[in-house]
Amino acid sequence: MSSKHAVIEKNIGLMIALILVIISFGGLVEIVPLFWHKSTTQPLSTLRPYNALEMAGRDIYIREGCHVCHTQMVRPLRAETERYGPYSVASEDVWEHPFLWGSKRTGPDLARVGLRPITEQWHREHLRDPRHVVPESNMPGYPWLQHNTVNWSTMPRTLHVFKNIFGVPYTDEDIAEQLAKIEGEWADATEEDAVIAYLMSLGHARAEQREEAK
Amino acid sequence: MSGFWSGWVIVLVVGNLIFYGLLLLGNSRLTPEEASRDTTGHVFDGIEERNQPMPRWWLFLFIGTLLFSAVYLALYPGLGNFPGLLGWTSAGQWQEEVERAAEQSAPLFREYARIPIEEMRNHPEALAVGGRLFANHCAICHGSDARGARGYPNLTDQDWLYGGTPEDIRTSIAKGRQGTMMPMKALIGNTERDVRDMAIYVQSLSNENMRNNPGYADSIARAEPKFTMCAACHGADGTGNQVIGGPNLTDRIWLHSPRLADIEAIIRNGISSLMPPHEGVLTEEQIHVLTGYVYQLSQPQE
Repeated sequence: MSSKHAVIEKNIGLMIALILVIISFGGLVEIVPLFWHKSTTQPLSTLRPYNALEMAGRDIYIREGCHVCHTQMVRPLRAETERYGPYSVASEDVWEHPFLWGSKRTGPDLARVGLRPITEQWHREHLRDPRHVVPESNMPGYPWLQHNTVNWSTMPRTLHVFKNIFGVPYTDEDIAEQLAKIEGEWADATEEDAVIAYLMSLGHARAEQREEAK
Repeated sequence: MSGFWSGWVIVLVVGNLIFYGLLLLGNSRLTPEEASRDTTGHVFDGIEERNQPMPRWWLFLFIGTLLFSAVYLALYPGLGNFPGLLGWTSAGQWQEEVERAAEQSAPLFREYARIPIEEMRNHPEALAVGGRLFANHCAICHGSDARGARGYPNLTDQDWLYGGTPEDIRTSIAKGRQGTMMPMKALIGNTERDVRDMAIYVQSLSNENMRNNPGYADSIARAEPKFTMCAACHGADGTGNQVIGGPNLTDRIWLHSPRLADIEAIIRNGISSLMPPHEGVLTEEQIHVLTGYVYQLSQPQE
């Protein structure tokens, strides 16, 4: 059998095909089963879908690149849970499209920021000028968020995509209610309102689930 | 993981290991015919390729990785639903870490809890712990140096909105504080001149030069009788009321802003500030240590 490798070495097409077969085993073992695994496909019992304002805030969070400096992934290490809160689990992120775990922490992790006793007013001042409240902060200010009103034009489609394609369990009534709020109380909401609503919503599902488990 | 996927993982992983083992074995020996030749038969530009088996040390490294993976998969979770002989999980490791830390810190916190707030300053270790708690829970509003920011009180001065006794500080941390000033414009005459007069009067309370300046005399005279509207919270003499957190207006310490336009805006629109409660976020003992830390910040240095 020893010189059979000569056949492979002299046939580059065969070699490519066999290399692909060999390295695909890693994915077949480590990735494929996760598509059927309960802990990665079943939402946390306390998880609730974003409302339209939080969803808009999440889009702005992505647009402004917040995820470039802020992770949303608390690792199961004591130093992290002590500082941020309960460690992240996969079932929290079943409805996250795309997920915002990140890997670079220039700023602190935000997965549990909604659990911290921080006032809305603080968030506003901090978003406009971070150094007003945290003098040593190196985060840029986002003063324009307070002046821009949310662009709601794509939100009906966004909600439908999340419902029909990503399988987030919005009912038709939920969507009708959200759309009514877009026309009504949130019609003039600023981008700052939306981002703060999103930030303040983070982490609650996991905290409630831990309370229930007690 | 369901039985099927567990089996899928086990079969693929074990199958791979066996396959690599056999592949290695097959390639580590030469047939007698190959061994009898000195070269592989490749000739290029007159250069011949010598026929050498894989170096032994390399082969042993390869065997070593196979053995390592077999041992690893026996001890740690990796083969489908098999939990590994050690029963290790990342959640379990975290739990252990947390319990070990709690075991270490519990006696320390019990000891700190016995230190009276007033004497905490003499216990550098307790203060260091308080400093870390302050950095994590308080600094985002009150600043890492505790000097506060506009709208967030400075904790290093002698001016207290809700009182600076150990008990007051404890209550502020545990229960939080809610300060609300209503819009006052309608109550003091409802014109912009009334607002301007009152703002000037408020400024003059802490500024003797303004009081003695004849240019402000009219405004001050008009506003002074209307200050009774403010007295419920700020006191008849403007020195404030710590029970409800009415700021002292007669000192030079401004929670929000000393500027005339800002004072006018506050009189016109009112303002509210909130210190969130930290009961539940922090343990009883942590609050005690933190109270001691905050208390000593404003005590004169010995």
